[in-house]
Amino acid sequence: MRGLYVHIPFCVKKCAYCDFYSLPDRQSAMQSYVQALLIEAEKYQGLDFETLYFGGGTPSLLGAENLRVLSDGLRKLFRVGVTLSLDTNGTNVSGNLQRDSSLDFHRSQNDKTEATIEVNPESAAPDFLKAALECGFNRISIGVQSLNDAELKAVGRIHTATQAIDAVKQAQAAGFQNISCDLIIGLPGQTWRSLKSSISKLLALKIQHISVYCLSLENETPLADDPPENLPSDDKQVELFEKAAALLKSLGFGHYEISNFALPDYECQHNLNYWREGEYLGLGPAAASHLETIRFKNKPDLDVYLKRPTAQTTEVEQLDREDKAREETILRLRLLQEGINLSQLRQKYGMLPTQEIVDNLAAMAASGELTREGVTYRLHPAYIMTSNQIFARIMARD
Amino acid sequence: MENIRNFCIIAHIDHGKSTLADRMLELTGVLHTTENAQVLDSMDLERERGITIKAKSVRMPFKSQDGKDYILNLIDTPGHVDFNYEVSRSLKACEGAILLVDASQGVEAQTIANAYLAIDAGLEIIPVINKIDLPNAMIDECRQQLQDSLGIPGNTALLVSAKDGKGVNDLLEAVVTLVPPPKGDVNEPLKCLIFDSFYDTYRGVIPHIRVFSGSLKHGDKIMIKSTGQVHEVDEVGYFTPALTPTEKIQAGEVGYVGAIIKKVGSIHVGDTIVSPDFPATPAIPGFRHSQPMVFCGIYPISTNDYVKLTAALEKFQLNDSSIVYEKESSAALGWGYRLGFMGMLHMEITLERLKREYGQELIATMPSVIYKVYTTDGQFSLIDNPSKFPDPSRIDRIEEPVVKLQVIVPNEFVGPVMELSDAKRAKLVAMDHPDRKRALLTYDFPLAEMITGYYDKLKSVSRGYASMDYEFTGYQAGDFVKVDILVKENQVDALSFISVRQSAQPKAKGLIHKLRKLIPRQMFEIPLQAAIGAKVIAREDIVALRKDVLAKCYGGDISRKRKLLEKQAEGKKKMKMVGAVVVPQEAFLLLLKMEE
Repeated sequence: MRGLYVHIPFCVKKCAYCDFYSLPDRQSAMQSYVQALLIEAEKYQGLDFETLYFGGGTPSLLGAENLRVLSDGLRKLFRVGVTLSLDTNGTNVSGNLQRDSSLDFHRSQNDKTEATIEVNPESAAPDFLKAALECGFNRISIGVQSLNDAELKAVGRIHTATQAIDAVKQAQAAGFQNISCDLIIGLPGQTWRSLKSSISKLLALKIQHISVYCLSLENETPLADDPPENLPSDDKQVELFEKAAALLKSLGFGHYEISNFALPDYECQHNLNYWREGEYLGLGPAAASHLETIRFKNKPDLDVYLKRPTAQTTEVEQLDREDKAREETILRLRLLQEGINLSQLRQKYGMLPTQEIVDNLAAMAASGELTREGVTYRLHPAYIMTSNQIFARIMARD
Repeated sequence: MENIRNFCIIAHIDHGKSTLADRMLELTGVLHTTENAQVLDSMDLERERGITIKAKSVRMPFKSQDGKDYILNLIDTPGHVDFNYEVSRSLKACEGAILLVDASQGVEAQTIANAYLAIDAGLEIIPVINKIDLPNAMIDECRQQLQDSLGIPGNTALLVSAKDGKGVNDLLEAVVTLVPPPKGDVNEPLKCLIFDSFYDTYRGVIPHIRVFSGSLKHGDKIMIKSTGQVHEVDEVGYFTPALTPTEKIQAGEVGYVGAIIKKVGSIHVGDTIVSPDFPATPAIPGFRHSQPMVFCGIYPISTNDYVKLTAALEKFQLNDSSIVYEKESSAALGWGYRLGFMGMLHMEITLERLKREYGQELIATMPSVIYKVYTTDGQFSLIDNPSKFPDPSRIDRIEEPVVKLQVIVPNEFVGPVMELSDAKRAKLVAMDHPDRKRALLTYDFPLAEMITGYYDKLKSVSRGYASMDYEFTGYQAGDFVKVDILVKENQVDALSFISVRQSAQPKAKGLIHKLRKLIPRQMFEIPLQAAIGAKVIAREDIVALRKDVLAKCYGGDISRKRKLLEKQAEGKKKMKMVGAVVVPQEAFLLLLKMEE
């Protein structure tokens, strides 16, 4: 399984908590940026992808025309949305199938085929949503964050709750049947009452997926530099998160990853692939890739990217088998329902490089931090909010 | 022998002793440039802190106005209050002393203490006022102070600027004329004073000696008086300042003797070297094994480094034999060593050097003095570690070491200094005025109170003007308790401390409070308690950690997140486990800062 991520590093205004690589006031560069992306993409011509994800920044700032140019261009270079015959390790055995540009993402016969685009409420215009659908996107992720105007304003979101609700309705009207919304826990002034109200209103719109993120103060963001007094404490965040999780579960949403909830069969395939140690290619500045067990990134610099889109690789990382196995373990433990299957881990990395992990997991199961079912370990729900403590212990190499 | 002069320079810290020595070396041609500034302070750390810890000596040829050639042996002395005994031994090797006073500072506490040591040793004293080039030099006041506080005729003081060399030649002439030549018979049986030593990897311990009678040459046998050990002399020589071998050294001279003495602990400052042919030659009086006054435990952060620490200490002791150490184990910190030091500053410098020179990260526990603990069965023991205190029910009484502390301070700071000292349980026994502007305060001072940051605070309340000196005087009884610290029901021996009963609770509360802030929240609740025996006198709880999760949108940037977790794991490795609780090293330094 391999995913394609395309980064759109533009936004109208930076949100107070955001430490992603994204620039306000650079939208004039959009057209040349699309061309640069296609040049970079050419470097990887011949690869096949089963999932596509346009993230940002604000991909909805692309506008209908740029979106068409970009997805047409990508479709000429890559085969996206076709499931190839896979071997047990998840790598494709034949990368050289004939390209069929007539295949649209949403028409694929395969369930796992997924193409997501992120949109922000204020730029989710009907013509853009229509274009997205025509370009083959079959899933939409809306940056709602909250349905409380005061909370939205407090972190510098430029849309209202009403705009967010409208965006969901318009996506549905355009024909999207797989809609995800992001919510943030720990916004200034947030209470369980306001959070519960946000969740209830969203679910009333019949969406299929919710990502629930905890607000974190990242270095050199305005929020961290000058945190408001009514910022909920860590303990309060945990309380809100646990209540939200319980509510979502009671309404039929599976808690399939630490921050992600979905109706059955609506889990985000593209993101699942990250947590299964899968391969992915990231295009655009600051985008991260994982190909043939090597991780690398593009430099976070739009200007140099525009000049030389194919020469931005940095932070190349190739871990040894043991560390790779540790990485896969902590990623898979984030998958609360799926968990980690030890026999698969051993098969992939070998007995010796996994021995310490196996011992560790057994000890954690004994102490109740993990649950065990056959050869599968899962994070115990009581330890989700302190899971870094567990992951750090798995990462520790003597 | 008539043309030999053995002398030293004594001064308060920073009064310019090392600079003066440099000028003398240049003037006599031993050194040619000013490049090797402060040759006698060869350790970086000493130079940084302006303190000479290790005494060394240099032999300088000098052609006097009288037309004769002289040999001047300058014997350097340790400049800090912790090394009173070592200073006294260096003085013993001389016939004269230059008493150096900073013209801008005047007579200070160590000036007085060292001057008395020199007078007691019967040395000819040459008063010198240094730094006369400074705009704020107060030469007349200095003369008056010498007269008033030491009874030294101030008008005889020579004026010198060690910095630019002014007056230094005259000073050397004065050494020749005023310091008596050494006495001693070359034909008498051998008698030498060891006033220092250093360790050479190839030649073992090399004592620095002053020969009082007889002579020494290659192939001779020597006997260390206090132990009876006999060694064969491999090499004798002088310091120029490099070791320069010579055929023989004899009565009146200063030099070194190499005799392949492998065992570091076998040579002690103040001991006498005699000839095994005349084993009954009397020892030079005043020898004692220097007693460490301050103790602390040191522990490697990772228990795996214990072997490395052992090696570092062994090597370290070669250069500073005044340090004593023995193995110690702490329930909280594992295996480590208990180190004894001559004083607080000695401890600070040593720990700093251990870390710096040997690349060792260390946890150093709260320094302690030696308490005399009398138990109900009529026995008493000397205890240098709070965790070794017997159960309170078995203790009859406890005595603590007391020093006589002398502080010289400008009049306007007398108030703050008295306030500070009162808070430290000091008893003022005398107040004098060495001159109109300053007071000399004499205290009976509990050593335990002095080693917890008194010196720094003294400097700070007097804006740097106060100077101090102290000497050990004896033991006195007091009402002491041992306070234990419990982290989640586990006693942390390294955090136990001794306190007078009345201030035990406020101290305990302060410590517990700081601990609560320092120990990170963990997966369970952690009660922190302070107790005297079974009685809890302070308690705070660290509530269980509730949030440590990566629950933000992070796209495919997995490397960065993995690295954060690795860092978290690394950080944990540097902490100590107390039961199930992870405790950062800083916790063990808290006691040091308890009074801030």
